[in-house]
Amino acid sequence: MLHRPESLGEAVGLLTGDADIKPLAGGASLVAMLNARLVEPSALVSLARVKELQGSNELPDRTLRLGAMMRHRELAERTTLTGPQRVLQRAARAIANPTIRAMGTIGGSIALADPGADYPPALVALSAAIELVGSAGTRLVRAVDFFVDWYTTVLAPDELVTAIHLQPVGAGAGVYHKLARVAGDFAIASVAVVLLDGGRARAVIGACGPRPLSLAEADAELARGNVAAAGAMLAEAADPVDDSRASANYRRRVIPRMLARAFVEASEQMHSS
Amino acid sequence: MTDALDVTLMINGERRALRVAPFETLLTSLRDRLGLTAAKRGCNQGVCGACSVLIDGRPARACLSVTANCVDQEITTVEGLSAPLELSPLQDAMVRAGAIQCGFCTPGMLIALTALLHESPHPTRDDIRTAISSNICRCTGYQKIVEAVADMLDASAA
Repeated sequence: MLHRPESLGEAVGLLTGDADIKPLAGGASLVAMLNARLVEPSALVSLARVKELQGSNELPDRTLRLGAMMRHRELAERTTLTGPQRVLQRAARAIANPTIRAMGTIGGSIALADPGADYPPALVALSAAIELVGSAGTRLVRAVDFFVDWYTTVLAPDELVTAIHLQPVGAGAGVYHKLARVAGDFAIASVAVVLLDGGRARAVIGACGPRPLSLAEADAELARGNVAAAGAMLAEAADPVDDSRASANYRRRVIPRMLARAFVEASEQMHSS
Repeated sequence: MTDALDVTLMINGERRALRVAPFETLLTSLRDRLGLTAAKRGCNQGVCGACSVLIDGRPARACLSVTANCVDQEITTVEGLSAPLELSPLQDAMVRAGAIQCGFCTPGMLIALTALLHESPHPTRDDIRTAISSNICRCTGYQKIVEAVADMLDASAA
């Protein structure tokens, strides 16, 4: 069965009580997994018509709230993302190819939590919050706490990602770099760097462990301009695997270099804006 | 078929009623139920682009689209790009430029390029390359495809 609810309440109601029923957002990952028989849901709940998940709005405290059904294409082309928030736009532009960016959604991508995906490091770097709605109500989870393990998040079976909250962060810079075998592939390694006014810095490494990697000590070194020290700490703390894209050893070795390049670009962005 | 769904789709400007499996993809419905075989089954994973169709004017992967989820959308396949036995100007330009080797990627390329020209009638070569970056040509015949579009635009500007 494919359900096509029009309201969030109806969608959550359908998900409640059946752990094998899956929500369908843009389909870019879930339908590929269905085709490969990697998942066999009892039914699908299409989120295409759920109004609460569409579009974006600004909250009274100037937090930007992006609906979970926002396509990658829309974020990639969004010109109102400025300063550090450019990191999210850069991540969106790094996803797959134009057609897939027009299908896939930010909510669907982060709910799957592929460690090689592009949004997780960017969202952690921006201290974004993820809005979840389930039968028990609404909760807001920090991105750093949302991603738990390989393909695992804090989402309960009857919960949906409903929005991404980006608090205002002021001026600064945001850069996302991805190393991949071909443009648009999942990352071998990726790095999100955010520089904030007042000298604070944040670096988050993607695809080198079960969840996005960041370290307060590395961020402190980065803020002092000690990029090599920050890179060494992150490479040491990383927990990468060998897979068809690269070896764990290779991933560790590229982390400091990728961080250095992203930091240079972020510093330039900081001075030119 | 258990749990079969009766759906009505708008395909190439015509209403088509069909019975589909609950999670059936648009690609299966087009090819196996409606006999519209222009969209090709390549990877069935959304990677190759051979199954591309236009959904509400934008390129989409038919293999990643659940048919029962497409009921309120306008679907266009290569069969709908021109009248029967005729070629669209883009198709004609592809033939003239020899922009076809094995031909398997061609329908997807036509969809990607048709959407590009609709959105931006005067694309640069970079725009053309970006548009077909969603589609894999295993013969690596990309250059002739870019030339076909560029030649067509040059000819229409002359």
